[in-house]
Amino acid sequence: MHIVFGGAFNGKREYVREQLGNQEVSWFEGVMPERSPLFTVIAGVEKWVKLQLETGKSEKEILESASDALLLNESSRQIWILTDINRGIVPLDPIERQQRDVVGRLYQFLFKEAASVTRIWYGIPETLKGADDDENLYKNGR
Amino acid sequence: MARGQLIFISGGVRSGKSAYAEQLVLASGALRHVYLASGLAYDEEMEVRIGQHQDDRAGQGWTTIEQPGDMAKVLAHIRGGDAVLWDCVTTWLANELYEGWEQGSPCAEQSGCMERKWRELQGTLTGMQSQVRLLVVVSNEVLDDFIRDETYQMWLGKIHRWLAAEADQAFEMENGAAYRRK
Repeated sequence: MHIVFGGAFNGKREYVREQLGNQEVSWFEGVMPERSPLFTVIAGVEKWVKLQLETGKSEKEILESASDALLLNESSRQIWILTDINRGIVPLDPIERQQRDVVGRLYQFLFKEAASVTRIWYGIPETLKGADDDENLYKNGR
Repeated sequence: MARGQLIFISGGVRSGKSAYAEQLVLASGALRHVYLASGLAYDEEMEVRIGQHQDDRAGQGWTTIEQPGDMAKVLAHIRGGDAVLWDCVTTWLANELYEGWEQGSPCAEQSGCMERKWRELQGTLTGMQSQVRLLVVVSNEVLDDFIRDETYQMWLGKIHRWLAAEADQAFEMENGAAYRRK
């Protein structure tokens, strides 16, 4: 599993699309996949977390759902696009405070599981963790 | 004349990005150091803050141009071979995006308004680069948080991505340390 990480509007999706070229992928935006297509992109994870909290899910249940989705990775390839929302002021809305906590702990778990992590800073990639030799996407071309 | 260097610097509040940008300009060997300020003093605290910045630069031969918006006007004051420091994108964007707010019709809510200003800014920066020796652009990191003002944050991301793509060098400042990203 590979992670593309960074702040909002930094060009993460654009970067992933560029690197994928014409490859066929199943793109999940704000939802977790339940089956296992060959190549999966999972984005909008922070929005998915908020939705789960709003429908009454506990942190444990949320982490389990994400972990289930990650297990599908054994028979397919996955890219998770993770938006950093945790470098700001403590939110007034209690759901958002909870969202930040869960997102932070979920990202920590995902970073540990990931074969590679690429951070995108205004379109510029930086490898934070590992790189496959045969995988262009994760080379820090600069 | 050859195209001048463009350096993009972004960082958090009080990360030392302005001081670092000033060093780059002072070390450039340019005849004139131009400080292009976007800040508007809305209150006394801001006046003191701006005065403090001006004092910091005093004696180092800076020419200050205050240009909160309408950036194209700057070109008339730029001379060949200048080293220019523009501080900062976030303030400029707020000035431009909310211009007309008092009249109830901010630019952000008029179709095509910000697009036009953005094209003008691109033209101004490119035009400036064709004259100056060095152009340093300073901005802030405000996109690693919840989306509070989607229009503002979307535009800031777009401008930063363009600057990072155009720049000869790009730096991210963390507590006084400059990390070169490009």
